[in-house]
Amino acid sequence: MSRSRDRSRSNVFAHLRWLPRLVSVSASLLLIALPLRAQEPEQQDRMAKLDVKTRAAVELMYDSAAAEGLPTQPLRSIAYLGITRKADGRQIIAAVRRELVLLRTARNSLGRVDEQELMAAAAVLDAGAKPAQLAVFKNKQRGRSDLSAFTVWADLITRGVSGEDAYSAITRLWDDGADDATFMSLWNNVQSDILRGLNPGTALQNRIREAPGRPPTTKGPQTPEGQENARSE
Amino acid sequence: MTDSEQHPYVEWIASEARRPVVMDPGARDRIMAAVRAEPVPVPAAAWRRLLQPRVFHMSPVGTALLAAGLVGIGVLTGVATSNDRGGRAAEHPRDVAVLPSQPPVSPPRDTLYKFVIVAPQAGKVSLVGDFNDWDVAKTPMIRSGQSGLWTVAVPLAAGRHLYAFVVDGTTWVQDPSAPIAPDDGFGHANSVKLVARGSSS
Amino acid sequence: MSDDAADVQRVLAGDVEAYAALVDRYYDRCARFAIRMLGNRDDAEDALQATFLRAYRALNRYQERDRFSAWLYRILVNQCRSVAARRAHRERVFVREEALLLNAPDRSAVWTGEDEEFVQRVLNELDPLLREAFLLKHIEEMSYEEMSALTGVGVSALKMRVKRACDRLRERWERIQHD
Repeated sequence: MSRSRDRSRSNVFAHLRWLPRLVSVSASLLLIALPLRAQEPEQQDRMAKLDVKTRAAVELMYDSAAAEGLPTQPLRSIAYLGITRKADGRQIIAAVRRELVLLRTARNSLGRVDEQELMAAAAVLDAGAKPAQLAVFKNKQRGRSDLSAFTVWADLITRGVSGEDAYSAITRLWDDGADDATFMSLWNNVQSDILRGLNPGTALQNRIREAPGRPPTTKGPQTPEGQENARSE
Repeated sequence: MTDSEQHPYVEWIASEARRPVVMDPGARDRIMAAVRAEPVPVPAAAWRRLLQPRVFHMSPVGTALLAAGLVGIGVLTGVATSNDRGGRAAEHPRDVAVLPSQPPVSPPRDTLYKFVIVAPQAGKVSLVGDFNDWDVAKTPMIRSGQSGLWTVAVPLAAGRHLYAFVVDGTTWVQDPSAPIAPDDGFGHANSVKLVARGSSS
Repeated sequence: MSDDAADVQRVLAGDVEAYAALVDRYYDRCARFAIRMLGNRDDAEDALQATFLRAYRALNRYQERDRFSAWLYRILVNQCRSVAARRAHRERVFVREEALLLNAPDRSAVWTGEDEEFVQRVLNELDPLLREAFLLKHIEEMSYEEMSALTGVGVSALKMRVKRACDRLRERWERIQHD
């Protein structure tokens, strides 16, 4: 059961073709507008703005999360975001529930990792990666933070790179010992190429070949299909 | 009270569940054995006499320092693991009954991060994110100069943060210099800022 | 001063064996809750051991104006949740859009009497939060106010959970009737 999403990626890139681009060290100087639902800023107390049923449903989900040892902060954050966006109760409940399920699935895939990593992992699943792909990272951290890897992974898929290509690139970099800077550098390069009009998948293929580390082996990494795999433990 | 709660089947389940259970008789002995290996819990009043109020980090280093200073008063900084089931993980040091009335530990200071967006046509711009409960009123951005540059600096804890810019109260905008997260369920893919632990920029 | 408070004072004064009196007084009742909540003896014993140890370590934080049983039960409920979370993590299946969390009945449970086993299986089918509320209300026979203070959950949310638990049990009965 997949949630229909308004993927306006292709519209974004169409706009970008026609805008001049300036690069600076601290920030890009481009305004990218994604026109979305109009809303007015509110100053009042926030959770009270939810109707009773929605609030009760959402609080129950916080409790479920807490009982399972899952972080509740991301769920609260989604509720506040929904309130700011003036979403209706059902939409807020659905969004909170989705995040709860994603966190739970991320926990199942990765085991015990800290909250930030879990949230980043949930985003990877949200983007469309399979739990089995995420599970490849279980116990692989060994003191390294996978926040950058997961963030770039989720970004690539969200921008239109295929799940397989993104998984392939991220795991290859990770296994080569890439650090945070390397992942962010990959992201920056792919992003520049996309802004120049390149197809995201192509941009990734080009840039991953340049990435520091061993040249790719002849037998590339494959998605584990729930079976034994050289990577999984 | 509702219909279901008074349903005979439900009442039967409850009355069966209320019956006493038979437990392994050794279990209580194991509890007392573990308890005897613990330091005696010291009442709060005694601690106040012994210690000046000070802020402690209950990290392994912190508890080791405690041990060095207070060994004579029976403070245990490790954790008793006298568990006959063989080596189940010990609980965290801060579960030991020490320092019951200490002031709360202050969290590490957040670092200030600068957010920048160019919006020459905007009348106002706000930064919203998981660090300010996505409240459009909390973090207005400041326009500087003629270039249409809007900036604001906010303290951020280490980890991953989602955010967006809201232009003129209506238009949600991504940060072009940042990775994005998938659609948030309300129609927008927010930007991601990663703050490294122990970073100092 | 109640028996409980007197025993606590003796322990704090250095009489460790006085804690055995507290354990004796509450162990069976706590054990009943832990077993009904967790569905098997091993997990229940883990939770009970952790509960009484934590309570011992935290005795200096117990204040006489609180009921000792309520104070102890707060620790017990949290320990049962921790044990359940650890166990659920081991057993969980990778399902992307799963609905409620359902704990499978534990096959390692050893029971005396068919009825008790059946009742435990039925309880195991309840969502843990519903089961917890049902047990506190109908087995421990606490008031909603006590439950609220103990779990940190609002009274209306607790009432809803108890109602849902009873609804589920009743639905199960009706399904059996029609099989």
